[in-house]
Amino acid sequence: MIEKDEILALLSEVVGKSPADATELVAYGQDSSLTRFANSVIHQNVHEDDHVVIARVAVGKRVGVTETNRIDGEGLTAAIERAMAIARESPEQKDFAGLPKADPAAEVPAYSEETARVSPATRATAVALAAEIGAEKSVVVSGAYRTSVLSLAVANSRGTTQYYDATEAFFSVFATDRSGVSGSMCAYAVSHNDIDVERVARTAVDKCVAARDPVEIEPGPIDVILEPEATAEIMEWLSYTAFGARQVQEGQSFMAGRIGERVMGENITIYDDGLDSAGIPVPFDWEGVPKRRVVLVDAGTAKGPVYDTATAAKDGVESTGHAGPATFRSGPSPSNLFVAPGDDSLDGLIARVGRGLLVTRFHYVNGLLDTKKALMTGMTRDGTFLIEDGKIGRAVKNLRFTESMLRAYSNVDGITRERRTFGGNWGGIGSVTVPTMLVRDFTFTGATEF
Amino acid sequence: MKELLKEAIHFLEGRGVEYADARDVRRLFEVVVMKNGEVETASVTESSGFGIRVLHRGAWGFSSSSDATPDGVMAVAKRALAIAEASASVGEPKVLLDGPRTIVDTYETPFDEDPFEVPLSEKLDILGAACAEMARAQEVRIVTASMMNWKTHKLFVSTEGSEIEQTIVEAGGGIAATATDGDDRQTRSYPSSFRGDYAGAGFEFTRSLDLVGNAERVGREAVELLKADECPAKRTTLIVGGTQLALQVHESCGHPIELDRVFGTEASYAGTSFLTVDKLGSFRYGSELVNIVADATLPGGLGTFGYDDEGVAAQRTDIVREGIFCGYLMSRETAPKIGLRSNGAMRADGWNRIPLVRMTNVNLLPGEGTLEDIIADTKDGIFVDSNKSWSIDQRRVNFQFGCEIAWEIKGGKRVRLLKNPVYTGITPEFWGSCDAIAGPEEWHIWGIPSCGKGEPGQTAHVGHGVAPARFLNVQVGVKK
Repeated sequence: MIEKDEILALLSEVVGKSPADATELVAYGQDSSLTRFANSVIHQNVHEDDHVVIARVAVGKRVGVTETNRIDGEGLTAAIERAMAIARESPEQKDFAGLPKADPAAEVPAYSEETARVSPATRATAVALAAEIGAEKSVVVSGAYRTSVLSLAVANSRGTTQYYDATEAFFSVFATDRSGVSGSMCAYAVSHNDIDVERVARTAVDKCVAARDPVEIEPGPIDVILEPEATAEIMEWLSYTAFGARQVQEGQSFMAGRIGERVMGENITIYDDGLDSAGIPVPFDWEGVPKRRVVLVDAGTAKGPVYDTATAAKDGVESTGHAGPATFRSGPSPSNLFVAPGDDSLDGLIARVGRGLLVTRFHYVNGLLDTKKALMTGMTRDGTFLIEDGKIGRAVKNLRFTESMLRAYSNVDGITRERRTFGGNWGGIGSVTVPTMLVRDFTFTGATEF
Repeated sequence: MKELLKEAIHFLEGRGVEYADARDVRRLFEVVVMKNGEVETASVTESSGFGIRVLHRGAWGFSSSSDATPDGVMAVAKRALAIAEASASVGEPKVLLDGPRTIVDTYETPFDEDPFEVPLSEKLDILGAACAEMARAQEVRIVTASMMNWKTHKLFVSTEGSEIEQTIVEAGGGIAATATDGDDRQTRSYPSSFRGDYAGAGFEFTRSLDLVGNAERVGREAVELLKADECPAKRTTLIVGGTQLALQVHESCGHPIELDRVFGTEASYAGTSFLTVDKLGSFRYGSELVNIVADATLPGGLGTFGYDDEGVAAQRTDIVREGIFCGYLMSRETAPKIGLRSNGAMRADGWNRIPLVRMTNVNLLPGEGTLEDIIADTKDGIFVDSNKSWSIDQRRVNFQFGCEIAWEIKGGKRVRLLKNPVYTGITPEFWGSCDAIAGPEEWHIWGIPSCGKGEPGQTAHVGHGVAPARFLNVQVGVKK
C-alpha cells in the first residue's frame, strides 16, 4: 500500500500541474488476501496489491475520465492527458455541476493494524478449526476468509483533499452433508479480532444438521422470519434501484413521486450514516464530499434519496456525500446502510408465529421485476425451517418468493434489537446493518427439488 | 516482462514446486454512454500487472501485483509460494493436474477495425443519433446508447515451458428507451438488454448492429408497451426469442456444466450444480432436438480465444447431444477427476485473479425453419424476448425470468402485445419440453460481457449461439 502522505502529495502535485479547467484524482488502494475453502480443504488462496487512480477533468463543461494503475507522476500525467483528449472530443455535459470544494471529513475508527498484518497461516488456522467443527458432525465446510486494507484518497483543483484507510475482515462458512442439505453463517468487521470463527462455524454446521430431511410445502402466502442476511440482500437491491437520487429523478425508484407518503409500516426506518461505527464507517465519497446522515424511510414514510454533486444540483440541494466512481456513472448510492432495530428477540418473534417459516438467507435475488413496486424474486437457501405453534420444527425444501418489498415491509410485525453487519454494495466499500424481521403473509410462488 | 516472469518461474522450480505459471495482462477498456442525448460517461481504463500461481505440496497459492520491477516480481513469487504452503496445512489437499503441455504460440482476435482507433467523436455521433431517434415518441422519457470496447494483451509462461501471447479484441454496444405513463414504466432495448450485444471482433461489429437504424422502432415499442395488456398467468406454449434464450442457456446450462461447481468449489457463494458426474452420458437434459456445445473456437464469439489461462488450446466440446447430457467445461485440475483432460475453459478476469472454470461460447445448435415458421405453427401460446430479470437456485434447477416484451399467439399469428411477462420452470423439464428450434438463418452468437463468479468477484466475457425455440406447457406469469 502507498502511504497517506505519499499518495496525497502525488495527487496534489499532478492536480496542480493539470491544464484542465477542473481536475480530480481519486486513488483507490487495495491490499487484499482471500483464503477460500471447499470440501474442508483450502482450494484457492490469493493475494492482490494494487492502486488505481481515476482522473476526471473538465474543459468548460466537457468532461473526460480515465483510470490507470500506473501510479507515478508520469502515469498520472498521461492519464490526465488522455482524459483531456476525451473531454475535447466530447460535447458539453449539461449536468456537470463542477467539482466540490469540501471541508475535511471526520476521522472514523475503521482501521485495525492487527487485521492489516493477518498472515495466510492465521487464516489457515481458522479454516482448520471450521473443518474440525464440521467433522465432529460429519459435515464438510466451504467458505472464505478475507482480510483487506483499503484506502481512498481524493484531491481536486478546488483544494479538496481527503484520505481514508480501512481494514475489513470477512469470514463465511457454508456447511453441507452427503445428502446435500446446507447451513451457512458469516461475519464481517473492521477487525479480524471481532470475527468469532468458532461461533460462525458452529452456527453453520448446526444449521446444516437441523436442515436434514427437509419436507416439501406448497408455495403460497405464509408468515416468515427473515434472518439478517436475507434482509441485507433485499437492502442491497433497494440501494441499487431505489435509494439513489438518480433512480428517483428518473422515475425508477419506489420513492419517485411519493416522497412524504407512507410507503411501508410505521415500524420501518431505513437510514444511511457513513460515520456510524455500528456498521463499517466511510467518512466521504468518491468526490471527496463528507457523508451526511440521510434518513431514507422514516417510520414508514419515504423521506428522500442520497445525492452526489450532479444529482444534488439538479434538485437544488447539497450533495449528501454518496457519489460513486466516475468511470461508470451509475449515480449515488448508500454506503453504510441501516435498518433501525426493534425491541424483540429472535425467540420472541418465533413464539409469535402460529405457522410460518424461518429463512436463513436468500439466493440470487433479482429486484428488477418492477422497481416502482420494489417487486423482487429469489430463492431460499442454507436452512429454511417450519415454525409451528411458536416453535422451530422441520426443515423444508427451498422455495421461490415473488413479493413487493413495499408490501412486505408494510406487514412487519416484529423486529429484533440485535443487528448484524454485512459488506455492502456487492463487495464495494461500505456495509449494510440489519435486524431480523417477522413479516406476515409473505408470498412464495414456487419450489425446487432440494 | 517475459524474462522477469520466466526468472520467477525458474526460482519456483528451484524451490521444488510441482507446477507454477505466471500471467502478465495489460488491458484497455473503453465505455461510452450517452443518455438523453448527452454524454453520460466517456472513459478509458488501463490496467496492467501480473499474477503468479503455484502448486506446492498438493495445494495452490496465488499472488499478484502491478509492481513489475525485478524485486516486485520476485516478491510476488515468494508470497505465492508462502500462500501455497499455508494452503497445504489444512486437511490433505491433493491437487493433480492433467498431463503436461508445452506450447509456444501466439493468437490474435481477427478484426478489421481497431475500436481504439475510431475517434471518440464518431462513436458519440452514432450514439447521439440513436438517442435522437429513440426520443421521437413523446412518452419516451429516458434513452441511453452505449458502446464498450476492450483490448487485452496476455502473456503466459509456465514451468512446463509454455510461452503464449494473445491479443483479444472485443467490441459492441446497445440502446434502450424507457417510456412512462403515470406509474407505468416500460423499457425496450436493442439488440439485447443490459447494454447490448458484444463480440470478439473490432468496431466493424458495432457498426453492423445499426443502432441508429433500429432506434426509432425501439422507442416506439417502449411506448406501445405502456398501452399493452398485462401478460396473463397460465400454463401455455412458450416461444423464446434469441436474446432471452441466450440468457436461458447461460443460467440453466452454462453454469451447471462448470465442473468446479459440480465438485463444490463454488458451493459457499454461487452454488453447485444438479448435473452431477453420475449423470454424465445418461441424464436426459432436454428433448431430442436439444444439442448444445461449448465452442471457444467459434469466430466472432465473445467467449473465443486461442488458449485459456492455463495454456490449454481452445476447443469445441459436446455438452448435450440429442437431449442427453454428455460434457462439462473443465480445467486441468477438475478434468482428471472424471478421467478426462482439460477442454480449455479456465479463464481469469485480469492479472489479479486466478483462472476459474468459465463458459466459453455455450451454444444451442440450430434446428430448421424460421421464427415466423414456429409462430405460424403455434395455435395458442406466448412469445417472449429481451431479458428484464433473472433468478435461479444454487443448483440451477428452479428458474424465473422476466422479459421486456411478449406477444400472444393465436392461430399461428401474433394477435396481442403483452407487457411484464414472466416465466418460470424446472431446468430439465423445461428443456425436455422443447419441440422446435429455428434454423441457421435465425442463429446468432449473443455476447454477454458480465458473467459473474468467484470470490473475489470475477467478470467473464462469454458467448451463446442460439436461435429462437419453442417450449410446451410452461408456467407463464406468477402462480399465486
